[in-house]
Amino acid sequence: MHLLAWRPFLDPIPIWADSVWPWLLLPLAAAVSLVYKSVKCRTMRQVPREAAVIAFWIIFGMIAAAVVLAGVVKALEW
Amino acid sequence: MSVVFGRATTDKSTCPCHPSSIIQRPRLPPRRGRIQYRTLMSDDRSRNVPVPLVALAAWLLPGAGYWLLGQRARALVVGISIVVLYVLGLLIGGVRLIEVPGYGDHGLPLVVAPADRNGDHLVEADPTSPETNGPWVMTSRPMEEIRNKPWYIAQVLAGPINLIASWGSVAASKVNASGMPAGYRSHARTNELGVLYTAIAGMLNLLAIIDSASRAGRPHDESLEAQPEAAA
Repeated sequence: MHLLAWRPFLDPIPIWADSVWPWLLLPLAAAVSLVYKSVKCRTMRQVPREAAVIAFWIIFGMIAAAVVLAGVVKALEW
Repeated sequence: MSVVFGRATTDKSTCPCHPSSIIQRPRLPPRRGRIQYRTLMSDDRSRNVPVPLVALAAWLLPGAGYWLLGQRARALVVGISIVVLYVLGLLIGGVRLIEVPGYGDHGLPLVVAPADRNGDHLVEADPTSPETNGPWVMTSRPMEEIRNKPWYIAQVLAGPINLIASWGSVAASKVNASGMPAGYRSHARTNELGVLYTAIAGMLNLLAIIDSASRAGRPHDESLEAQPEAAA
């Protein structure tokens, strides 16, 4: 499906390439970090910095997990 | 003699483990009446609002619980984040990623068909077929149907926005005059990501509901602000 033929909410977003969908992790990590730190922080002034830090660690952890799992798969295939 | 804990020293006379220190104990700060811990979530409640009202408002509109408590910045950040996450999920996977309990793939109510040699089973109600005149599954076996669609439990926590999406999912599943449903069902990663986004939005709203209700029900503890060093 071409992007111009995409009907929002009726059709799934046309991102089938493997290089595209991992980027959808970024808004997910950002939103989870923002809400979690908004709940946890005592004042809202702390939230941007704290959320940025935890978002970085979420993304870093996901990348690390992906690398480890890819290594396990490669090792099993070999 | 005063002994300072926590400092490295080579002087044995000032070391806490030296016998002379055992005889002359350091002067400790006076003990408080009770131990005070800083809570995980802040307790800056500024208005008296009933806890059930705060919880209900937080479910009806994400972030509204904080708004009722006067914490508007927190309300806006939490509410906008949750709603944007949920809408992004619908954009990624399409509205049909919401699997509504009680409704089938074609947007028709699921009913329990009469038992045959394979036992009773679920079919979509077809007005033209007398074989599908059974009780609606949500009245006869609601728990079993919800167990079959467990993501809906998390999604419905996002509030009425999920009920609107559920209505849209059922409407988009119905076959129109051209013989095709209005909306396409997503598969593979787009479906997984869309379900993940909407379910996480619901779970985050549950966190916000619990936190705002907790703040509404907690008495304002001024001692923590008066003695910040006690919790440090």
